[in-house]
Formats: sequence, C-alpha cells, structure tokens
Amino acid sequence: MIKMEQINKIYRPQSNPVHALRDVSLHIKMGEFVAIMGPSGSGKSTLMNVMGCLDTPSSGAYHLGGVEVSSMNSDQLATIRNRKIGFVFQNYNLLPRMTALHNVELPMLYAGVEKEERKARALDCIGRVGMLDRIHHRPSELSGGQCQRIAIARALVNNPDIILADEPTGNLDSVTSLEIMNIFCSLHQENTTIVLVTHEDDIAAFARRVLHFRDGKLINDEILNPHLTEPSAVEGGGDI
Amino acid sequence: MNLGESIRVAWDSIRANMLRSILTTLGIMIGITAVIAVVAVGQGGQQSIMKEMEQFGSNLFYITMDWRRDELPTGREFTMNDIEIIKANVPELEYLLPCAQTFSTIKSRDKVKTAQVFGTEADYAHLHPLEITAGRFLNNSDCLGKRRVVVIDEELAQELFPRTSALGKRIIIDNQTMVVCGLLKAENSIFGMGTKVIYIPMRVWLDIYPGGSISYIEGGTRSPEEVKTAMQSSVKILEKRHHSKDLYQGVDMEQEIQAVNKVTGVMTLVIGIIAGFSLLVGGIGVMNIMLVSVTERTREIGLRMALGARRRDILIQFLIEAVVLCLLGGIIGMALGIGGAFLISALAKWPPLISWTTVLLAFTFSAAIGIIFGILPANQAANLDPIEALRRD
Repeated sequence: MIKMEQINKIYRPQSNPVHALRDVSLHIKMGEFVAIMGPSGSGKSTLMNVMGCLDTPSSGAYHLGGVEVSSMNSDQLATIRNRKIGFVFQNYNLLPRMTALHNVELPMLYAGVEKEERKARALDCIGRVGMLDRIHHRPSELSGGQCQRIAIARALVNNPDIILADEPTGNLDSVTSLEIMNIFCSLHQENTTIVLVTHEDDIAAFARRVLHFRDGKLINDEILNPHLTEPSAVEGGGDI
Repeated sequence: MNLGESIRVAWDSIRANMLRSILTTLGIMIGITAVIAVVAVGQGGQQSIMKEMEQFGSNLFYITMDWRRDELPTGREFTMNDIEIIKANVPELEYLLPCAQTFSTIKSRDKVKTAQVFGTEADYAHLHPLEITAGRFLNNSDCLGKRRVVVIDEELAQELFPRTSALGKRIIIDNQTMVVCGLLKAENSIFGMGTKVIYIPMRVWLDIYPGGSISYIEGGTRSPEEVKTAMQSSVKILEKRHHSKDLYQGVDMEQEIQAVNKVTGVMTLVIGIIAGFSLLVGGIGVMNIMLVSVTERTREIGLRMALGARRRDILIQFLIEAVVLCLLGGIIGMALGIGGAFLISALAKWPPLISWTTVLLAFTFSAAIGIIFGILPANQAANLDPIEALRRD
C-alpha cells in the first residue's frame, strides 16, 4: 500500500539546510494499523506531510497504492489526496459555517460526486462513527469528541486507501480519546489502513505496529500484540 | 466542484459577513445606481424631446438671423414683404409664416397676468398640433385685416375670467384691447413648461410693438424631401434682398435632432466617466475585502486543498465569490437606480426609459469588475502552500 524508498527531505537546501528526513524506507501493507512516534523535531510531521501527499520528498521514491507520487505536480497530488487519503487532524479542521453533514460531503465535492450519492455516502460514514443524530449541527454545537468523529467520517467518505491521523486525540480528554481510538480500532477491523502520529504511548498502544523516529531517521520498527497481527504485515516491516 | 456548488459556497461566505459584504459592495452599488438612474432619465427625456420634435413634423424648417453674432446689423430684419416674395418664388413651400414673440402683461377686468405674446399667421395651426376647444384659431382675414383678436389657452382663460367663459371677452395686452376669439387646450409639453403663450395676428403684433420685428420665419413643405431645397432657396432670396451673406440661417429638424443627440451624448459620456471612477473605486474595495477574506480563511483554504481541492478549484471559488459580491452590489444598485429613475421622472414629468441593454450592461459590468478585481486575491489563495495554510490559526 505504502512503499517508501530512501526518502530524504531537506528544507532550505541553499541557505540553511535542515535535514528533516534521512533515508527513510518503509512499507505499510493494506489493513495495517501503524503508529508513528517520536519527539518533536524527529521528522514525524514531515513524514506525515510526505505520506499525505501535501509535500514531495527531496529525493527517494514513494509508491502509494501502486502509483509513484514523488514527482507529481500539485494538481495531481490534490487528486491523490482526494481519492486515496483521508486526513484526521488534531484540531479537527471542520469548516465552522457548515453543518456536520456538509463537512463530511466536502471531499466528495472535489471528487465530483453527484448530490444524491454524496448525501447517501456521507450519511453512511456518519453512521459508522455513530453521529447520525447530529448531522445538522454545526461544529460549534458539537463537543470535541463529536467533532473528531465527524472529521473521521469526512476522512472515510471517499473510501481512501489510508487514513492519516495526526495526533487525533491531542485535544481530547482521556475518556473521549478512548472512544475515538475505539473507532479507529473498529475501522482497522474493517480492514482500513490507518497511520497514526502520536507522542502518547497509551495511544500508540492501540496500533499493531509502532515506528519510532528520531532526528529524521526511522530508528525502531516495533510489532505490538503479535498474536493479533496479520503475518503479511510482519513481512512488510520497515528497514532499519 | 461544479458551478452551482461554488456559487452556494460563495453565497454562504458572503452571508456569513453580510454587513461587511454590503458595505464592501457600496461603491459598485452607487456606481450602478447612478448609471441606471441617469441613463433611464436621460433616455426618457431624449425620447420625449424626439417625440415632440416628430410631432412638429420633419417637413418643417426655420430661418433665423445668426444669433451668434455679437451685433445684429439693423435694418436687415425680416419683413412681411420678404415673406410674400419668398412665397411667390419658392414652389416647394406649402406654408411660410412670420413669427415674433415678446413678454407682456395681460389684463382682464380685475386680473393681471404675464404671457408670451406670439405674433403669427393663420397657417400656424397647420404646422403645429394646436387643439382648439372653443371658438377658432386666427384665420386669414384676421391676419390680413389686422383684426384685434387673440387666441389664449384654457388655463389662462380660467385665470383671467374665473366665473365666465373667456370667449368673446376683451383683454388688454400692453394697453391694446383685444377680443378673445378662440381657446386652446392647455399645453402640456416640455417646451411650453412654465410660460403661457397667446397668439395674435402678425401684423397686429407689429403694430402693437413698433420697435419689434419678425424674429424668425417658419416654413413647411409638402414632403420632407423638399425641406432642404425650400430652405436654401428661401435663404438665398433673403440674402439677395438684404444684400448680406451669412446673416440668415436655416435650421431643419434633422439639425435639431443632431443637436439634441450631441447634448445627450456629452451628458452620457460625462456620467459614464463618473460612474466608471465610482466602479473602479468599488472594485478596489472588493479586492481589498477579498484579500482580507483570503487571509482570514487561510486555514479553510489549506483544509480544502488537503481534502483534494486543486489550485484552480480554489481560484474559481474566490473568483466566484468576488463576482457574486459585485453582482449583489449590481443588483441592489439596479433596483435603487430603477426606483430613482421613476422618482426623478415623476418630478420631471416625463417617463423613464429603462432599456434592457442598460440593465444587461450594468449586470455584465458588475460581473466583469468581480473578475478583474477578484483575480489578485483568488490567485493569492490558490498559491497558498497547504501545509503552511493548515498550520495557520
């Protein structure tokens, strides 16, 4: 699903080069639930940006669902993000003027989905996160946990190859965090590929595999709960 | 994202800041209001003037002394003999009339009024749409026999003789007693606004005002094609009789219409320039607020990009927002302009003329301003880096 080879990312290569990613190579198979951990400045955000096709690597190859994306232009990347990636952000990033339903429909607008189908698919995804009773509420009328559920529904709506969640529980209390992580777990059981960035060990513990980063390098690729992990995922372990 | 969705999104964001949007679009609103109102009133006025001129007839012409000269040479005024000789020598002429006018006091037994005393001949009624409601207009024997008769309009008659009919009554014009022989329907035209005109035979007029003279000659031909020839021949005869070149000027309807068109053309141009500046300022206002909007919504733009919006989607979204904003101003301006036109016209007493061309033009113009002044902000939005934009608060 995700295949990165020798990815480097250097910011400001001319004046004051910052080596954000150094020779990162990793494979993530379909249906895996991976957590990325590391202290700030470890390059995990940069990795998320590259993985999420918001940024392109300075060098290296990145195959996403069989497509080489590292040399695509911004419009092609936008299409990839739209079809293959579902983003979940720490601060939810819901548009405040829109209802929950319209927020969930948003990615489908850019995919050119017809109105009727848009609504049907949005309702389906909202149902999967248990928010059907709140579809006409605006984000300001929802709690943080409810906002994040809507954001997850939005991430699911174009049926992406992977869900990229960047500190999805960072703004939530522990009870709500647990609820959100349970949603991710059930999505994982439905064979959704999930990549989660976090710096909390107990959140990372929900994943089946944890990638540790430091100074732009992948330093440890750890398999959790091995009795639950699919054999194929083990084979796809990252290079250290 | 399709057009309908883009318009809906644009409208949502305009509605979210309704007051700001209305204030922003004020410049465009005022510009469009001014254009619509002034053009409607102007065209209405022009149409009224043209209609009146057409009523006058296209087979008419006038000959005047060149009023642009500093001093008119004395002793070369039109005379009654001129009229007779031109009539006899220009076969195209159907009518030829001397005309003279002066302001005078008009007295009945106990009322005093002012009016324009107009000296002419019986044929005047053939060249102008006068409506006689009682008695008759001046006839040929009045004119040749220098009868002291006068035709006045009903309104003046009512003012002079509030209790009885004025017909057959005596009135005093500049100490000369005259008998009212006919009543006219009260005039209701732009040219006649304000002043009352009363008609007396030309020869009587010359007797009453010994210092006065015929101020212009009015001619009419059987067909409009003959006007030019008849006018030129008449002028030539006058020049020959008075031994002076370039003193007499012929004017026909064609020239009059051209003159009116020239005036309205200049008016339209001036207003167009003013409106243009107003719209320019309005456009800059829209650009400014769109730039603010882009800055405010940086995160939204970043999010939309992350969710799959291409640069061109963002560009189009903001362009449409600018266009919708300008059209909002344009539509409100149009409504105010049409309302204003009716109001002004009601006061000026002529119907406004609101042409579809003007409305369509105003509409197109507002949209064009939106596009022109929306490009810069929209481009700025489209060129944001999604990562940076998402990080912004």
